[in-house]
Amino acid sequence: MIIMVGFALLAGTVFAGDQLDRTKRPQGKPAPEIHLPQIQKATLKNGLQVWLVENHKLPIVAANLVIQAGSDHDPVSMPGLANMTAAMIDEGTKSRTTMQIADQLEALGATLNANANADGSFISLSTLSKNLGRALDIYCDVVCNSIFPEKEFERLRKQRLTTLVQQHDQPPAIASNAFNYILYGPDHPYGNNQNGTETSLNAMTVGDLRTFYQSNYVPNNATLVVVGDAKLDEITALLEKGLADWHSSAITPFVVPQPPPPSARKVYLIDKPGAPQSEVRIGYPALARSTPDFFPVIVMNRMLGGQFTSRINLNLRERHGYTYGATSSFRFLKGVGPFIAGGGIVTEKTDSALIEFLHEIDLMRAKGMTAEELAYAKTGTIGNFALTFETPEQVAGALQNIVLYGLPEDYYSTYLQKIDAVTLGEIQRVASKYLDTSTMSVVVVGDLSKIKDRIAALNLGEIVLCNLDGKKLR
Amino acid sequence: MNLCRVSALVTIFLANSMIAQIDVKFEQYKLENGLNVIFHEDHSVPVTAVTVMYHVGSKNEKLKRTGFAHLFEHMMFKGSEHVADGEHFKLLQEVGANINGFTTEDGTTYFEVVPSNQLELALYLESDRMGFLLSALTQSKLDNQRDVVKNERRQRVDNVPYGTADEKIAKALYPPTHPYSWPVIGYMEDLSAASLDDVKDFFRTYYAPNNACLVLSGNFQPDEARPLVEKYFGEIPRGKDIERPPRAGAKLMETKRMVFEDKVQLPRLYLTWPTVPNYTRMGAVLEVLAHILTRGKTSRLYKALVYDKQIAQSVFASEDGFEIAGDFQIQATAKPDKGLAQIENVIDSILNDINKHGVTQDEIAKAITAEEVRVINSAATELGKAISLASYYSYTGDPQNYNHQLDLYEGISQDEILSVVRKFLAGPKIVLSVVPVGRQDLASQKGE
Repeated sequence: MIIMVGFALLAGTVFAGDQLDRTKRPQGKPAPEIHLPQIQKATLKNGLQVWLVENHKLPIVAANLVIQAGSDHDPVSMPGLANMTAAMIDEGTKSRTTMQIADQLEALGATLNANANADGSFISLSTLSKNLGRALDIYCDVVCNSIFPEKEFERLRKQRLTTLVQQHDQPPAIASNAFNYILYGPDHPYGNNQNGTETSLNAMTVGDLRTFYQSNYVPNNATLVVVGDAKLDEITALLEKGLADWHSSAITPFVVPQPPPPSARKVYLIDKPGAPQSEVRIGYPALARSTPDFFPVIVMNRMLGGQFTSRINLNLRERHGYTYGATSSFRFLKGVGPFIAGGGIVTEKTDSALIEFLHEIDLMRAKGMTAEELAYAKTGTIGNFALTFETPEQVAGALQNIVLYGLPEDYYSTYLQKIDAVTLGEIQRVASKYLDTSTMSVVVVGDLSKIKDRIAALNLGEIVLCNLDGKKLR
Repeated sequence: MNLCRVSALVTIFLANSMIAQIDVKFEQYKLENGLNVIFHEDHSVPVTAVTVMYHVGSKNEKLKRTGFAHLFEHMMFKGSEHVADGEHFKLLQEVGANINGFTTEDGTTYFEVVPSNQLELALYLESDRMGFLLSALTQSKLDNQRDVVKNERRQRVDNVPYGTADEKIAKALYPPTHPYSWPVIGYMEDLSAASLDDVKDFFRTYYAPNNACLVLSGNFQPDEARPLVEKYFGEIPRGKDIERPPRAGAKLMETKRMVFEDKVQLPRLYLTWPTVPNYTRMGAVLEVLAHILTRGKTSRLYKALVYDKQIAQSVFASEDGFEIAGDFQIQATAKPDKGLAQIENVIDSILNDINKHGVTQDEIAKAITAEEVRVINSAATELGKAISLASYYSYTGDPQNYNHQLDLYEGISQDEILSVVRKFLAGPKIVLSVVPVGRQDLASQKGE
């Protein structure tokens, strides 16, 4: 026994000298230097702007053609046109069939993707740098010689129609599509499903695609962003050759229409019988990317619902256990994009969760945030900036941001200063201006037999029953 | 070899073969308490990734306590003796870190990607929860995270079309005592049953430094990091040796057919064969086969089902190898109202054709090229490299295998592809048809 005690004492003494005081928190060292991407620029003979950021860490080159026309350019009668045009871009050229394009790219280990979002259309390529020449040859062919074959179009049309069917099985997709439709309506490009509707897809022809392609996919309406293991003269030489037959032409000026004006809050309910969770979306059309309030708004939202330790997530997930995660965000688009708060909520707590969402938004609007919260949100945003340019994809994304929204050249070099300059007064002002829950729409997709009466009892506004697309049921 | 492409940090070189391999340099050592430490320096970014991987996953769970390893992972974010509830996230998000954790069948990984001046904070927090978790555990924290995890299950499984298919297949593939027979997320009733004592036992058994691997990857100086690692992790006592479940593949005596009605509009067919654990030559050959079958427009099943016949919306095959067993799966989603029997017949005829005539050298070459690109891209982030080094340490015993992973693909021959088709895909399988409610007629129910 004595030996044991002695041993314990000895052990105690040994540790006492060295023992770490864990109540003391480590202090960070001075912030590391962030090397912003150095953009090299060139203009091809046909007018195409080429931006390159060299990154020789990996033997990979990523290119992305950013075209300044997305589903915002879809005619009101034909949602899905921009997306379908992008999807068809690699389905055949004057000299290659769809299978030849795929086969040749696969042999190189290269991937080519095309898609459209609300703000633009994008054709991207990723290739090993040793195969850059051969991969770019195919890529350029696709960009400027696409012929939109009827046979491939019929296949993709059916595929898209089936995608719409699949979306009706996915509550998050139902909620997001219905939310957009409810906020913007069928006459605004942001109101429609970017994949199109059954009606529009059935009405669409290859002629529509060719017209969209010819009027929007032109060098003077696009910028090619390249990041990776390449040199500017090498790239431009290959592009001059590959894109020689691609010509600029006049672009019709375009402005995204204004969304419908705000009206009194309503609650839109969509039935998904048996759903164990309710998908909630709360919001309204809020802001365009060009807003002068961008910086105070992102700092404010970081605290409201933009990170794990935001008020909304800590309340709904960590305090109440209603959800796996709840968030809020401002979707900044060329036109007026939405503010969205939401998440997947356990069915039994749907009404309680709505109260908490609205409470957190109202509280931010009424009182803004504390000086401690502002400091916290700022240091987090500033620290996170160092993590923004790690990969070629991230750098390409940053360049795409500048191109798409016409941001100033010094956008990233002045970013930290602008975050740091945000004041409590500005937070209060933007919260008050952009977080008015009395005109927000509340959209819930869930098992209405279990949640409808309890939501109605909250008296949040008129209850509107909708179908899976967000259209009012009669 | 192209010297222009070489940096000191990630070198790409060509071995004797034409396969390009990565060369992620690292140093490795062990603390006295058994903690395995790996450093990989990369000063090209102002970022350091810190990962701690514990060699414990749902495979180590007991019956009636499924989902426990993952529920435990959630408890690791709820504070420790010197870190109050909520502070872990608070301190890290204050410096802009990206934070998360994930649990698999075989391992549990925690990570922080920090601006590189905040390395010490990450080490402090990881060490506090490795060494001092128990005194901070409370019933209310457990109850809260149990609710969160149940919500996670609803979000990822129960409210997702086809969400429970995987667990139905696993249950049919493995005997009920095999740890891969249950899902990582666990069953609701087992999550309800987990007690605070279970949490404590689990921590004492598996969350010891000798069962963990710490990786630092990114912008730091090893000479500065070594004393910090010792300072924060050195005092944590070694735990008992861990008993590891032995390799045990599934053995099917005959093909099992199952039909499940789900709230979906498109029928989906799942074909699953028992195969081999991960990091094996046979697994690599099966992965190449998966490429040949379904990756890319020219792949055999995609071309037949999606492109030519247009009876399927999508098709995907993969070899899913884990530490003690693995399986090969083909899943195909039908177009509206298309029967799954028709789809299974096409798959059968294509597999028969391969069985008879084999595959081409070109098909193998394309698949291996795609693997090369995948491996290179895996080295694009500090976090990616850290997780890979830790995984190769934990599952193969040597992080260097990360750099040599394509050795497994070296010289894969047409004969080898044939042999795995004959050895595995010609054998018994699990056939699961998921069909819309009331549409059993769309299931594949043919007799063998």
